Amino acid sequence: MDEPLHTLSAAELGRRLAAGPLTSRALCEALIVRYHAVNKKVGAFTHLDEGDVLAQADASDVRRKAGQGRGPLEGVPVAIKDNIAVKGQPLTCSSQMLASLVSPYDAHVSDRLRAAGAILYGRLNMDEFAMGSSTENSAIQKTFNPWDLACIPGGSSGGSAAALAAGLVPLALGSDTGGSIRQPASHCGVVGLKPTYGLISRFGLVAFASSLDQIGPMARSVEDCELLLCALASADARDMTCFAAADRALTPAGDAKKLRIGIPKGFLGKGVGVEVAAAVTAAIEFYRSQGCAISEVELPSADLAVPTYYVVATAEASSNLGRYDGVRYGHRSATAGTPVEMMTTSRSEGFGAEVKRRILLGTFVLSAGYADAYYMRALRARSKIRAEYLAALATVDVLLTPTVPTPAFKVGEKAADPLQLYLEDIFTIPANLAGLPAISLPCGKSGHLPVGFHLVGAPLSEAKLLAAGRLFEAAHGFAHQQAAL
Amino acid sequence: MSSSPSDWEVVIGLEVHVQLHTRAKAFASSPWGFGKEPNEQVDPVVLGLPGTLPVVNREAVEKSILFGLVVGSSVPEQCAWDRKNYFYPDNPKNYQLTQKDFPVVVGGQVEIELPGASRNVMGEHKFIRIHHAHLEEDVGKLSHAGSGSLVDYNRAGVPLLEIVTEPDLRSAAEAEAFLRSLVALLTQAGVADCDMEKGQLRCDCNVSIRRRGAEKLGTRTETKNLNSISSVRDTVIYETARQIRELEAGRSITQETRGWNAELSRGYVLRDKEDAHDYRYFPDPDLPTLRISRETVARLQKLVPENLYDRQRRYVEKFGLPFTAASVLVVNRELAEWFEAAAAAHPTNPQGIANWVTNDLLRDLAASGGAGAPLTDEVLPAVSLASCPIKPVQLAGLVKLTDDGVISKQQAKEVFAEMFKTGQEALAIVDAKGLRQNSDTGELEKIVQEVIADPAVAKSIAEYRAGNEKAINALKGPIMKRTQGKANPVLIDQLLRKFLG
Amino acid sequence: MAEGFDIDHLAKLARLNLTAEEKVLYSSQLNQILGHFQALAKADLPATIDLARVVSESALRSDEPGPVLGAETVTRLAPASRDGQISVPRVVDDEA
Repeated sequence: MDEPLHTLSAAELGRRLAAGPLTSRALCEALIVRYHAVNKKVGAFTHLDEGDVLAQADASDVRRKAGQGRGPLEGVPVAIKDNIAVKGQPLTCSSQMLASLVSPYDAHVSDRLRAAGAILYGRLNMDEFAMGSSTENSAIQKTFNPWDLACIPGGSSGGSAAALAAGLVPLALGSDTGGSIRQPASHCGVVGLKPTYGLISRFGLVAFASSLDQIGPMARSVEDCELLLCALASADARDMTCFAAADRALTPAGDAKKLRIGIPKGFLGKGVGVEVAAAVTAAIEFYRSQGCAISEVELPSADLAVPTYYVVATAEASSNLGRYDGVRYGHRSATAGTPVEMMTTSRSEGFGAEVKRRILLGTFVLSAGYADAYYMRALRARSKIRAEYLAALATVDVLLTPTVPTPAFKVGEKAADPLQLYLEDIFTIPANLAGLPAISLPCGKSGHLPVGFHLVGAPLSEAKLLAAGRLFEAAHGFAHQQAAL
Repeated sequence: MSSSPSDWEVVIGLEVHVQLHTRAKAFASSPWGFGKEPNEQVDPVVLGLPGTLPVVNREAVEKSILFGLVVGSSVPEQCAWDRKNYFYPDNPKNYQLTQKDFPVVVGGQVEIELPGASRNVMGEHKFIRIHHAHLEEDVGKLSHAGSGSLVDYNRAGVPLLEIVTEPDLRSAAEAEAFLRSLVALLTQAGVADCDMEKGQLRCDCNVSIRRRGAEKLGTRTETKNLNSISSVRDTVIYETARQIRELEAGRSITQETRGWNAELSRGYVLRDKEDAHDYRYFPDPDLPTLRISRETVARLQKLVPENLYDRQRRYVEKFGLPFTAASVLVVNRELAEWFEAAAAAHPTNPQGIANWVTNDLLRDLAASGGAGAPLTDEVLPAVSLASCPIKPVQLAGLVKLTDDGVISKQQAKEVFAEMFKTGQEALAIVDAKGLRQNSDTGELEKIVQEVIADPAVAKSIAEYRAGNEKAINALKGPIMKRTQGKANPVLIDQLLRKFLG
Repeated sequence: MAEGFDIDHLAKLARLNLTAEEKVLYSSQLNQILGHFQALAKADLPATIDLARVVSESALRSDEPGPVLGAETVTRLAPASRDGQISVPRVVDDEA
């Protein structure tokens, strides 16, 4: 009972809250103290409304006292990436464009967290509009890797991963379009799950690339990740891409020791760092030692994944971000002129460099004369990649790779080279293109920086991914690792 | 050498945007309707707030499919939505949800009737092919105030069905006839209200001309956003004349987008082809492809009303109605169904019933305040039968009383007026007013015999017996007088002839 | 594939103002990225796209009107408003 509250898992906190005498207020007060001590160094949160948090905590304590607790997350704080709408809270997407926006509505996942009794705890920094792999594209602040403050935390859910690794909060929501949950999870030594496309409603998630985006749980342990996933996943009539109640049954986990694990051919080559390769190889050997069948699988179109992703994602983004024009909400340029000038200037002032770059790229690949060569070909390539992954996952249960080829880099190191940064996502992108669930789990260190490995499964095989994670976690005990700050 | 206008043929295609009759918007649950304060019918989805997502309104889809069935299209197995990207302050997401590659309606045709030589003569009928119709969302409304503009998003997201014809129309009259026919089909099926005053129907009009007999189509212009049938007609006339003038002066037609100033009755250039938008269409990733079940199609098929011209033919052929009456009745489904209910209650005289409906009933409905506001002044007779005080069976009863000789035609007018005022049954009015013709033969025989015996009429009797048929009428007056006008004139005539034999 | 790449046209389509330096930078970066996309141009790809999620009519929304934000909230969110409406610089006919 002597461990500080900020080091405990969500599951443990839930148990202690249920058992008493721990109250949600005491927990939140402790985390607010931690926030004041640590957040300045890490830069994970962009906003924390302490009064609102404590009011939620008090309401939770009242519920629990009255015997009306809502489950294992009752009174447990969950921090939220700043692209997920919470009524009355900022919804900035870490962009100047939305710096002043306060959401007038709740995302579906916010409804779900309230229904689970969780405390909606603060807003987390991110790459602007989720575009980036280092959180350096935030227009609000930098976020630093708690394991090495000179390094990036990954991105775009860098604030989420850093908050967990820094012990600022036990649970966090991220969003993942090409790796934005799993890549920062890997860099910060936490667990991040991108669910099957359609498992969690996107209603209230600010769209980057609608056909790729998924909200997902991030935590310091597999158990916590699962706890949060269960709270979030439910049918929602407000998102037509979200599975209906009848179509969302997860495949049973089965015995993790009997998993068939596929290793994509050549995946440990391609620019993978030596220590990353060693850590991931050790993970493979661990599973083999547990009785899992390890085999090599072919994914011939793997090289197409990055270009395909960047065509599809930027095309959708160029359209999704069209609505930010200074007319209805968000930043409006003080320069008057015609409506066209007003919109153009507002957008030019409101968006950062990476967002502009991707809007230009997406506009190009959809434009007359080029759409067939780029966008339509990318859709065909996406079909092919998806078919190859589904075929591979018919012969094995999961595919195992590193999450990211190399550990977190130094802040500013790759800022000038967007293409280099796009290649960070080489292992995580295919799961988004194919709509598959994928998880990143910590598996060691490269120096003092965490390394993660990545499991991809067939649609709705989240339970298998989590079971595989629990097996690994039980043997490696990463769940209570936290950066010393 | 100059040619006459008749050397040219005009080719017209229309894109008709119709607001569908739904309660909620096309992709959001926000309500919509006319006459609300600005921005009171806007929810987060309509406003395009970050994170919001569209969900397709089932009723909007079903109304669209119903339209497809009305025009005899084959309902596709699937339909899907695309994004049309363009920046404009009235377009909340700066893309419009529309259907480019997989529309909800493909093919079909609309029968039209051109004006005849006179009101009593049916004009030529033609079929105009429908290329497709797609379900999309309307945009908000801009108004100008001083140095700026104001935006009201109440209209944004209202379901619009865009109906695109083949270039089958060949004159302003055909374009006008097409729109009248289309409006009748849409309103009769309950797909749309088509109230042009409220902007519920707007048209883009494509016009080109070519030498009569030529196959190749000329360069076309598109005049956008016409909000009345007369504007479409005037645009076609204007654009045809302009294009003939251009070509005959040796100039060419520029493919351009044009506007129409209804006040000045003049078209103007909005932009030429060089400025054509690059809409960067792509499949909307938020809206999955929709499979349309055959069960739904079968269910909706049952809601398809009889085509108005099929109905018109039936009225002429089966009921023996004159074209004038039939054409008045069929334009309004409510009126036609009212007529048919009355005709069914008294099947021997549909013409008589049609006469009452098209003359007296329509006149009185129009005159009474409760007749309902005009649906559209350009298309439908300005009546609504919702508050009609007379029930179809009641009118049938009135016509039957007349046909049976119980009351005279003159008395029937009086009964109708009372019926329209009070909604009472014809028989009750007749009895209350004591209008019933006396058909008691025994009593009447006595009176007839008494009158014949009166020496004052002896001269007339003699003349009648000498062969002057008309002389008999002189005896009818006194008989009527003694029965206070209640005697059945037919019966009097019969009795007189019997006794004077 | 990248021939005809016109940064000015793209910026106009995307409603972005770019400085001269930005134009140079973005042009070179986009060209580099598009060069990486060459793999797509060369790939042997299926003719058909098999991605579309298909839903049945049960996924559609019923025609029930729901809550609205209200003009007060709409105008509060807007950078500029007047009389319940959002104000913008004067729109000239079909300026877009």
